[in-house]
Amino acid sequence: MISSKNLQFSYSGQKHFTFPDINCSSNETLLILGQSGKGKTTLLHLLALLLRPQSGEIYLAGDHVTNFNSSQITNARAKNIGIIFQRAHFVSSVSVMDNILLSNYFAGQKQDREKAIFLAEELGFAEHLSKKTNQLSQGEQQRVSIARALMNSPKVILADEPTSSLDDNNCRKVIDLLKKQSALIGASLVVVTHDQRLKDEFANQVFL
Amino acid sequence: MNILKISLANLKEKKLNSFLSALLLTLGIGMISLLFLLNKQLDEQFRRNIRGIDMVVGAKGSPLQLILSSIYQIDAPTGNVPLAEVNTLKRNPFVKTVIPLSMGDNYMGYRIVGTTSKYPEHFQAKVLSGKLFEESMDVTVGSKVARILGLKLGDTFASSHGLDTEGEKHGDKKYKVVGIFDATGSVVDQLILTSLSSVWDIHEHAETAAEPDADSLHSELEHEEEKQVTSALIQFRNPMGLITLPRQINENTSMQAALPSIEINRLFSLLGIGIETLQALAMIIISIAGVSVFISLYNSLKERKYEMALMLSIGATRTKLFFMLLLEGLMLAIIGYVAGITISRLGLLLFSKAAEQDFHYSVKEFSLLPEEIYLFIAALAIGLLAAALPSLGIYKLNISRTLAEE
Repeated sequence: MISSKNLQFSYSGQKHFTFPDINCSSNETLLILGQSGKGKTTLLHLLALLLRPQSGEIYLAGDHVTNFNSSQITNARAKNIGIIFQRAHFVSSVSVMDNILLSNYFAGQKQDREKAIFLAEELGFAEHLSKKTNQLSQGEQQRVSIARALMNSPKVILADEPTSSLDDNNCRKVIDLLKKQSALIGASLVVVTHDQRLKDEFANQVFL
Repeated sequence: MNILKISLANLKEKKLNSFLSALLLTLGIGMISLLFLLNKQLDEQFRRNIRGIDMVVGAKGSPLQLILSSIYQIDAPTGNVPLAEVNTLKRNPFVKTVIPLSMGDNYMGYRIVGTTSKYPEHFQAKVLSGKLFEESMDVTVGSKVARILGLKLGDTFASSHGLDTEGEKHGDKKYKVVGIFDATGSVVDQLILTSLSSVWDIHEHAETAAEPDADSLHSELEHEEEKQVTSALIQFRNPMGLITLPRQINENTSMQAALPSIEINRLFSLLGIGIETLQALAMIIISIAGVSVFISLYNSLKERKYEMALMLSIGATRTKLFFMLLLEGLMLAIIGYVAGITISRLGLLLFSKAAEQDFHYSVKEFSLLPEEIYLFIAALAIGLLAAALPSLGIYKLNISRTLAEE
């Protein structure tokens, strides 16, 4: 589970953001909707501990992570947070399989090939595991990045515009898979988007 | 999955860049290593044959030429000197041994040297089969000559005049192989040794076509007055000889005296200039290789900024990624080193073949030199340095901004 209180952030004193409080328990989903420039990505990076807030608190799996030092943060992120970015990016020189295993490797956990294969089958790209990532279509790439985010069974899954570059068909598929897989591991799923197609898919919504 | 695997994959992904960096390193390291090898082996070859020879006397001319022709058998002789004058040296109290040499003929490019039994003795050449030459027209051949020309005991051959195969044949008189030397690693291996009288006989015969029966050791002494030799190798009894004798000879006789150690040092200091120039060139190539590694890593880091931020966002530490990039430089250095050392051996092999053909000398030491271990450390240092400079950027990378920019 993840929650935040009175989060504030500003970029070099010019752009100032004050964010509404967020709360997403285990096994729950939350949609954060907002137009561009409202600080969606900033909020997601704050929740993902990629940015430090100016003020306010974030609680992740019961820990008050705003007090963590940088190595604790790296650790907490690797183990408890799975991030899916707007455009899927990979280590382009290694295979799809290796890209998925990277999550395990950098989190200092055992590299679980079976799980990678299982997820690839669930997400429907098992036949592409030995390919390079740039040989895959965007929809497939986004599904690979979901698998990568799931590898460490994180407590929280954060998705930044996961569907914005996908057509309706792929959009449905990706969002269904996200919901299904995060429910399977009992994670909180937080999706940040301006994509109006997702409006009806989530019960809990926050507007920026 | 680990950083080593990613580094390797990155090198493979940028094949041309990696190839260029490795190629430059290979060239530079190969050149330096080849120079080390050649320098060491030429030095060894030259010093091995010089051992125990304090002075060479021969006809006046270039002292270096006299040394090269008389000791190493690679240059033309300076001319002839009367045997009588050489023999007076034997009576000098400073002189321990005098080994007269008489050259001028060859068989299939291998020199036939007329001398006494002291010559093989000096080089510790043992007769492997047969016996040492005694009679005129008897020869004992060096191990390499026997092997390459396939000479066996009892074989006969006609020599050619001059020092290369194109010379006029002495067809009427044939040499007979009576013995074969064991391999010594010295100049004897590539020579055909015979008695002094054989050389005189064959030339008298060729020049005057007269006096058919003059081939015993006795006649050698009788005809001492007119006899000539090409040069003589001298050993001193004590170092005092070195101070007085050369000047005496140069001033009071028709001969010149040359000191091998001085001439060879002179030769090497001349060669040294060339070697230093090549070494400097190799250093420049290696530096360019370093720059190439630097540029290719710098560019690839710029391209892979997002990849780096991504890896940082899934739990990689900056230090780990820094090492990953260092590994790329290190691997290039190792590849360049191994390829360079291999190439230098190939170069040495080619050089050896060429030297073998022209001078009958061969260089055959292919083991790793101590200098090459320092070369390895230097290559690693260059790889590390060239990789470290651009890779330090990983510590300044702003994860959030990089990820948000795409």
